[in-house]
Amino acid sequence: MPRKASLHMASQTSAVTRRTVLGAAFGLGVAAAAGCGGPAPSSSTDTGEVSGTIRLLTPIFEGAEGQKTLEGLLATFKQKHPKVTVEVDYTTYAKLNEKLTTSIAGGRPYDVMLMGVGWIPPFAAKGVLADLGESADGLTSRFNKRVVDPGVYQGKVYALPIMLDTRFGIYRKDIFAEAGLSAAPKNFDELRDMGRKLTKREGGKLVRAGVDILSNDLRQTFLPLMWANGGELFTPDGKVAFNSPASVAALQLMTDIIVTDKSEDFGYTQPGAATGIPLVQGRAAMMVGHNNVWLEIEKNAPDLVKDGKIGFFPIANTRAAMFQGGTLGTVAAKSQHPAAAKALVQFLADSDAALAACKQRGNVPALKALESSEYVKANPSVQFAMGNLDSAFSEGGVPAWLEIRGDFKAAIESALLGKKSPQQALDELAAKATQVMARS
Amino acid sequence: MTVTSLPAKAPAAGAPPGPTRAPRRRRRLGYERRRAAWLMLTPALIHLTWWIGIPVLATFVLAFTHYDVLAGTVTWAGLDNFTEIFADETWNTSILHTVVYTFFTVPVAMALAVVIAVLLNAKMRARAWYRAAFFLPHITATVAIALVWMWMFEPNIGLFNAVLAMFGVNGPAWLSDPDFAMAAVIVVSVWKGVGLKMLIYLAALQSIPPETYEAADLDGASGPRRFWSITLPLLKPATFFVFVVSMIDAFQVFDQVYVLTPDGGPANATTVMTFEIYRTAFSEFRISTACAQSLVLFAFLLVLTVISRRLTGKDDDAR
Repeated sequence: MPRKASLHMASQTSAVTRRTVLGAAFGLGVAAAAGCGGPAPSSSTDTGEVSGTIRLLTPIFEGAEGQKTLEGLLATFKQKHPKVTVEVDYTTYAKLNEKLTTSIAGGRPYDVMLMGVGWIPPFAAKGVLADLGESADGLTSRFNKRVVDPGVYQGKVYALPIMLDTRFGIYRKDIFAEAGLSAAPKNFDELRDMGRKLTKREGGKLVRAGVDILSNDLRQTFLPLMWANGGELFTPDGKVAFNSPASVAALQLMTDIIVTDKSEDFGYTQPGAATGIPLVQGRAAMMVGHNNVWLEIEKNAPDLVKDGKIGFFPIANTRAAMFQGGTLGTVAAKSQHPAAAKALVQFLADSDAALAACKQRGNVPALKALESSEYVKANPSVQFAMGNLDSAFSEGGVPAWLEIRGDFKAAIESALLGKKSPQQALDELAAKATQVMARS
Repeated sequence: MTVTSLPAKAPAAGAPPGPTRAPRRRRRLGYERRRAAWLMLTPALIHLTWWIGIPVLATFVLAFTHYDVLAGTVTWAGLDNFTEIFADETWNTSILHTVVYTFFTVPVAMALAVVIAVLLNAKMRARAWYRAAFFLPHITATVAIALVWMWMFEPNIGLFNAVLAMFGVNGPAWLSDPDFAMAAVIVVSVWKGVGLKMLIYLAALQSIPPETYEAADLDGASGPRRFWSITLPLLKPATFFVFVVSMIDAFQVFDQVYVLTPDGGPANATTVMTFEIYRTAFSEFRISTACAQSLVLFAFLLVLTVISRRLTGKDDDAR
């Protein structure tokens, strides 16, 4: 073959090869881009059988044990709906917003999102959540009304309840008895008096807090105190009310416990402290705590359970109050498989799944049918919560709540540390909240 | 190049390819090289455009809008977001905290790094081990480091308070007390950051000609005199480099603050600019406000870099 022809062919061959490679790469790119869009929308077949791959975001089912529980439940769900595949993304309530923001901003929200009670109005108002087409009255016949209502926005049901969680007073009967106290505090004055009496220091160092108000999330400690003193978060027409005299007095109580009475030192403990919950270890005589503290007591101090050394009390002053939150299942408005997603929400809210979730998390079942379950009968903390739901209050209620709630901690801390007076701290917080609500 | 200097001459018909065909071939070769270069650069360019270029552009645009991430709506806002952030006490405090953090971490860590580098540049046993030990924190995951430090700072069972208790001192709640929380974060950051700075200084020290020291020895210069008059001046270029990199690094601090003091520390005592940007965007869903905050941080870094560059440039010119 002549050299010229040979060169030309070589060049042509090389060009063709490169073109082929580039073409193949382009094809792959297009295919990959198409793949990024996810499978074609399909959720319900002609026979009514749901199908599709759906993504679930869950702030419950934490840790290895929680994951194992959920995987077991999803295996059962798969048996019921063989054509539905569930991809799970585990998170915590502390990180829930980050996951939600990034998924929504990325244009691919999770199909099923488990959320707290304060989350529904903001997300429903912005059109993120799908109307589940359920009747609120119908749900109230099956579920506890206290956790049905937070899932309803402007008359439409956007969430199905799975569980409730509560915060109330927990005390050590043995430590109370040692101090000659036979009953839990019934008002703020008694709370302070008992706190002072039960506090123990050695060489100036706190070894037992009389009242532990720091183990629980500060906002969720302040709110039941505020409600117990007659305060409210917002007025019925949606205006800020948490800097009212009753609310300021509640924050003053917390400040007095730390600053004046020294019944606990700031920094003695914190939510989720690696050192554990002081009350369980005898390093606190009473606390404002989550109902799932019972799980830690059962695990780390079973003798306290056996000997009946743990007692519960509602926070009370002008009225009794208990903080009540909950976890609800929602479906994204943009879900490509709404029928499959709704099937999963219904499954998670149903008795078997809800009971498993409550057991794993130590929470209160939302289904009325589970109120007489063995789990409830064996858990005094859950029983106490269920027995006091009449005096339960929930946070949230305004669409801007998710922007406001994060600022409570710093405001409360500034009062507890004496950097600002309770009035000043709450006034500043109220001004900021009013601004946020006006903007929203 | 001999080929290009040859006189142009028309090739005879049927003559084999000679030097006159070379420019065409070279042009083709140049074209193919350029094409190959572009092909090889393409992945990096796509990456730069997609992951850096577009987000940076989006940040600039969104900072001047009201972007509701949940509703997916965008409206023009002008300078509203900037007015809002400078009226926000938490944001202004976070700027102050960032400056305080930078003021203490950068000079302190740099001074420590110079001293350690000088010590580890001397002949000593197990020198390589010491160097590795000082560099180790830099390559260890910040989260792991922060968790260990959290245990050491723990007020009831932590190492620091246990040591203080031996002297009869009741240690503070390091990470929960607003008077100590930032100091605790700074200590961890200095400890973590000193290794890389030490390494850069070490490299710079090893490039100082030994004759300079020999001459100083002949003149009878003492050790401190040699350090102040020879070592430090000759480390000036490295110092500028370390300074610029450390300043940028300090202004972008996030991970150790996030792990050691979640939620910005007690009463926002450790809230720095990056943390506040993160909180505004991902906890409060205020993406546009976070973009405006990011631009302010960008402006800070730009000004610092330009000032440093000017100083470095003058130094380069002088040499």
